Amino acid sequence: MQSLGIDVLFKGSNFLRLLGGLWTAVRISLISVAISIVLGILAGMLMTSRSTFVKALLRVYLEIVRIMPQMVLLFIVYFGTTRVFGWNLEAETAAIIVFTFWGTAEMGDLVRGALISIPRIQYESAAALGMSETAAFRYVILPQTVRRLIPLSINLITRMIKTTSLVMMIGIVEVLKVGQQIIEANRKTSPNAAFGVFAVVFLMYFLICWPVSRLAAWLEKRWA
Amino acid sequence: MDMNVILSYIPLYRDALLLTLRIGWQGVFWALVIGLGCTLIRQLHIPVLQGVVTVYVELLRNTPLLVQLFFLYFALPKIGVRISAEVCGSLGLGLLGGAYMAETFRSGLDNIAPVQEESALSLGMSRFQTFRYVIFPQAAASSMPGIVANVVFLLKETSVFSVISLMDLMFTAKDLIGMYAKTIECLTLLVVFYLIMLLPVSLLGTVLERRLRYAEFGN
Amino acid sequence: MKKIRKNTVIAVLTALGLGTALVSPVFADENFRTLDEIKESGTVNIGVFSDKSPFGYVDENGEYQGYDVYLAERLGEDLGVEINYVSTEAANRIEYLQTGKVDIILANFTVTPERAEEVDFALPYMNVALGVVSPEDAVIESLDDIGEDDQVIVISGTTAETYLVKNNPEIKLQKYDAYAEAKTAFENGNGVAWANDNTEVIAFSIENEGYVVGIPSLGSADTIAPAVTKGNETLLNWLNDEIVSLGEENFFHADYEATLLDTYGADYEDTLVIEGGAVSGSETEAE
Repeated sequence: MQSLGIDVLFKGSNFLRLLGGLWTAVRISLISVAISIVLGILAGMLMTSRSTFVKALLRVYLEIVRIMPQMVLLFIVYFGTTRVFGWNLEAETAAIIVFTFWGTAEMGDLVRGALISIPRIQYESAAALGMSETAAFRYVILPQTVRRLIPLSINLITRMIKTTSLVMMIGIVEVLKVGQQIIEANRKTSPNAAFGVFAVVFLMYFLICWPVSRLAAWLEKRWA
Repeated sequence: MDMNVILSYIPLYRDALLLTLRIGWQGVFWALVIGLGCTLIRQLHIPVLQGVVTVYVELLRNTPLLVQLFFLYFALPKIGVRISAEVCGSLGLGLLGGAYMAETFRSGLDNIAPVQEESALSLGMSRFQTFRYVIFPQAAASSMPGIVANVVFLLKETSVFSVISLMDLMFTAKDLIGMYAKTIECLTLLVVFYLIMLLPVSLLGTVLERRLRYAEFGN
Repeated sequence: MKKIRKNTVIAVLTALGLGTALVSPVFADENFRTLDEIKESGTVNIGVFSDKSPFGYVDENGEYQGYDVYLAERLGEDLGVEINYVSTEAANRIEYLQTGKVDIILANFTVTPERAEEVDFALPYMNVALGVVSPEDAVIESLDDIGEDDQVIVISGTTAETYLVKNNPEIKLQKYDAYAEAKTAFENGNGVAWANDNTEVIAFSIENEGYVVGIPSLGSADTIAPAVTKGNETLLNWLNDEIVSLGEENFFHADYEATLLDTYGADYEDTLVIEGGAVSGSETEAE
């Protein structure tokens, strides 16, 4: 058997290109997470609103996000919007829109969960102590909510990063696509490059996501 | 939108739905089996295997299914391991789902206070009885929403199957767009078929979650 | 409080709805950029393959290379603009043009009557037909050699797929999104044969040991041409003039010698190359 294609990675700027592809994926997810967290907090607060109309609306939104694969949303936003509205979105913009749309719903649901997980008795005790509604929220509810939320939002980052692998399907040259290009350009000299390249891409994703998810788990345990 | 186009595509989408469901549910089945196996190994604190389970869960939970499939389907044959696309699809889903299920079961078990096990044992129940009648029913109930969420997640993940040549719903839509460029019709059908497939499961999850919350104290 | 919120939401939704309704007709017809708009912007977006060696691929330094890219480089030069390469898959090519994501597709795009209804093709620059490659120990020499349970690899959105779906619906197809995936799967033995443009399968059999093109020509003799969004006349006319004038300097032969000679040798040069948009011999049925 010939080499398993690890050597191919060190030809020319191949390894740097793979890292560049990985950065494209990570950049898209970080931008999306940042926007999702802000919008998600708003959505989460609205989800606990007393208005049935608002609640129903957000329910439908959440349900759509849960049911539609991100890939379907990517295709709809990237190709569908141009067809229907004539908007011409860059692939990366389309990806950020889709991941934010998805992330906001997920984050909103987490915020809602964190808010309702604070037992009602705490609101009541705070009120009994003479705290105003704002003061109770600021000093009692918020600190606890934030503690519960931070690990969960960190988890969302790893989920985003993993999902960005889909953007290769709308023509963004990220790490998997670079991997394919490398395999293609070296098919003649190292036909087994697929093994080395895909193994390395697999490890790259792991090395990015694993520390982040460990951090989330550690925080969760510490603040539980 | 052209109604004739939609009607002529429906059989293709139906076939894709059946394939997606078949492989999806096989994947879910393997995910449950693997998840339970991992939980058992963890509960019984079997040495070595416990370490293997940890590595497996961390590896699979921290990499995308797309990359896992690329590895299973395109890389493994280079070292002599060849798997058919269908097997690869259900195996890939099963391996990924197993890691998620294992974590869901674990958090279900973690929710049960140790005092319950101690009380049951002190009442004279055997270890098996304690697990069967005290721990398991509670753990299963509190893991339920998580399990359903995992099922929805796994069925959605089938949308990347195009890379391993499986004609799932997503690939059918992409393929038809590539051949006949009826984008709006294809995407509309795609959305409708995903709704048919996943709305019931997702609604079930919501109902279960709500029921469970009634059972909790203090809310 | 409750009431205000409800009204706000309704107001926002109405505004969004109205906004979309107002904005959409303005942009709906602007799905392409004219020649002047491209020149003014200083960049032309060209859709090419990034995993289809030797026609469009990326080398180890991250540079786009190949027969299509050689032409793209020259077009950019003569337009006097920078080139922004967009990596495309076969099934996305029409979509990319129709949604204006690229100005020109130079991705080994075979001219067919069906596609000509969706996009506008310029003058052709290469001849093509379909071909089928198979491993040398089990050569497929006619479509009848393909067994009932055998699967033939094709790439989604290619002419090979459309041809087989239409003319040989009994053959089981194994479809892939991308060239790289299809080739790796074929190498791994996932299908009995791979059907694609004959240029492509011939290149594969030459570059990889152990494969034979058992069916070198299938279906009609077609051509490959640049394509632009339907109705983009200024760009189309410029491309046609450009291809004719490039013919005068024998540009496409130079292109062949720079990019394809290593793979095909000199024998295929006159079979493959179309110079100045003039198709020699039998006319294609695509007209």
